[in-house]
Amino acid sequence: MSIRKIKITENMSKPKVAIVSLTSCEGCQFALLDLGEKFLDFVGKIEMIDFRLIEDEEDDGGELDLVLVEGNPVTEENVKTLESLRKRAKILVALGNCAAMGGIPEIKNYHEGTNTIKHVYKYIHGINNPEIKEIDNFVKVDFVFPGCPISGEEFLKYIPELLVGKIPVIPDTPVCVECKAAGNRCLLLDKKPCFGPMILGGCDAVCLNSRMMCQGCRGLRPKGNVKAMRTTLKTMMTDAEFENTTEIYGLRDDVEARIKKENK
Amino acid sequence: MDIKINHIAKMEGHTGFMASVIHGDVKSAKLEVQEGIRLIEGVLIGRHYADMPIVAQRICGICPVVHNLTAIKALENAMGVSVSPEAEKLRAVMELGQIIHSHSLHLFFLSLADFLDMDNDIQLISTYPDEAKIAMRLRDFGMDIVRVIGGRVVHPLTNEVGGFKKAPDAEALRKIVTDSNNVLKDALALGEFFKKIKIPDFQRETEYVCLRKNGEYAIYDGDVISSQGLHISVEKFENNFQELQKQNEVIKKVVHEGNSYMVGAIARINNNRDKLNPQASSYLDSLNFTFPDYNPFHNILCQMVEVIHCIEQSSRLIKELLHSDLNKVVTGEYAIKEGVGVAAVEAPRGTLYYHVEVDHNGYLKNVNIITPTAQFLSNLEDDVADYIKEIIDLKDADKQKKLRGFIRAYDPCISCAVH
Repeated sequence: MSIRKIKITENMSKPKVAIVSLTSCEGCQFALLDLGEKFLDFVGKIEMIDFRLIEDEEDDGGELDLVLVEGNPVTEENVKTLESLRKRAKILVALGNCAAMGGIPEIKNYHEGTNTIKHVYKYIHGINNPEIKEIDNFVKVDFVFPGCPISGEEFLKYIPELLVGKIPVIPDTPVCVECKAAGNRCLLLDKKPCFGPMILGGCDAVCLNSRMMCQGCRGLRPKGNVKAMRTTLKTMMTDAEFENTTEIYGLRDDVEARIKKENK
Repeated sequence: MDIKINHIAKMEGHTGFMASVIHGDVKSAKLEVQEGIRLIEGVLIGRHYADMPIVAQRICGICPVVHNLTAIKALENAMGVSVSPEAEKLRAVMELGQIIHSHSLHLFFLSLADFLDMDNDIQLISTYPDEAKIAMRLRDFGMDIVRVIGGRVVHPLTNEVGGFKKAPDAEALRKIVTDSNNVLKDALALGEFFKKIKIPDFQRETEYVCLRKNGEYAIYDGDVISSQGLHISVEKFENNFQELQKQNEVIKKVVHEGNSYMVGAIARINNNRDKLNPQASSYLDSLNFTFPDYNPFHNILCQMVEVIHCIEQSSRLIKELLHSDLNKVVTGEYAIKEGVGVAAVEAPRGTLYYHVEVDHNGYLKNVNIITPTAQFLSNLEDDVADYIKEIIDLKDADKQKKLRGFIRAYDPCISCAVH
């Protein structure tokens, strides 16, 4: 057997993975890179087809076992990339808040929409400026790593299942569970706003540990009671303030949809 | 003849490159930006001021600290909020941590392979495992600083207008001071390694712009100065530097009196090397540069000098903080006031500038953000146009390789530049 063949056989046993960013801050990729040695261990277990922070090689366009997508489809090229990755991928995962929920760029949808551009550019002709949509509006998404940015530790927890073709399930617990376990005093008890009770846990309450309210970057938990949350918050923030805060991480449309469902 | 590169990996954001050369004459050399627009300034207008540092830092996953700090400083200047000297110092330390981890990533993992003519980082790490580990330890040290003070590395949490939501753990700060001794040795060892790298000999005169301050190597604040004698307060920045947008372009490139100029590590070292800490200064001397130094490839060595400086400086400032009352960093009461504020902080890649206007209820009326990459992009393109002449006879693949390396040495951040 030639050396080349040995190399191919070796690679065949490793899952082919691509980590791709659309328009974004790339913070979720950095959250992975910042795992240091632990990230390199993960890289050793896979065949990395695309991860632009370390690779500078051409991709052959073949089938992929796992694709992780960060960011928003903003340019036409972004949309094409996303669609072609879906065709090649056995499993496609949204990496972080922008891909999963629209993120910061989605704020414009709630206000001036495509007119927001006029604050920024003099010449707007020829610049892609679509309404911001989560990637599941374009392609089927099999799993979401939530958060802005994602939690590196949570990535390490669920990635082994994904690498063998299984879809993990993040337990439906609120951020409050980890917040309490960390010994934090509840902000709500001090009449300070926090979205913790309706938001999916798994972040180790990283914001609350820094006395920063939960603004919901990980999204609503399946059983989160949005109406009860709004009632609790009534004395702490106005409806407008509540709406504004839910806009930061693209949560507002999800909250509105959930309230509609709860009212049915 | 056209030189076209579709994608340049190993840098922040998405871009390609296109140059057109006719009979040996470079007609144009341009980065072809593939990043989409997020309209961060636009989405901020109409929002509450407290959202601004949170939203603005998400411009960039590698340098969120500096966006966060500059936004906060601009807001404080707009509303006339005063901050304790302890909080200011802690912010300065955070920015040093930001520079250490960003530079360590760039100079080793993003740029070095190009100088060694290697194809990728897997090859780099397996050839130089010890140096790779040092670079990772340096990066970890910078990240530790940000994590201990900010609560998280990517998109830190504790900073806000007026100070910090929470004082950092003194024990964790003490550990950073202890670690800094070994980390400094690591940095000096990596510095020796970088001295042996063959750096291409290319020069083109330019203007270097950065902050400058009495008594210290300006990072967290200072006046805006240039190597051509400019010296203005930050308030005058927009009178002297102009953002220009061309049709179909999403980066507003900045010029100074119509000309391109350079910011970042190489600009700071050229202008402020007299203010470096002792170890950084003697390392710089050992490089035998002649100043002014106009070789853009030297940017990575200047980053190495700054890593050494920032380790020395962060350790010194943390020691001072540990002798003061850390609880004084916590935000006190302040009033929301209408006003206009600007601020500038040295980001890893150069001077980051923010302009903000707040109404009497604390809502944002106007925001302008001028990033380092938007400032140096014209300089990069002017440099590349010159550099192409030197590599014109190489094979296409080699030319592309050289150009990728050149562009990466600049450490552009396209996500920041478009925002």
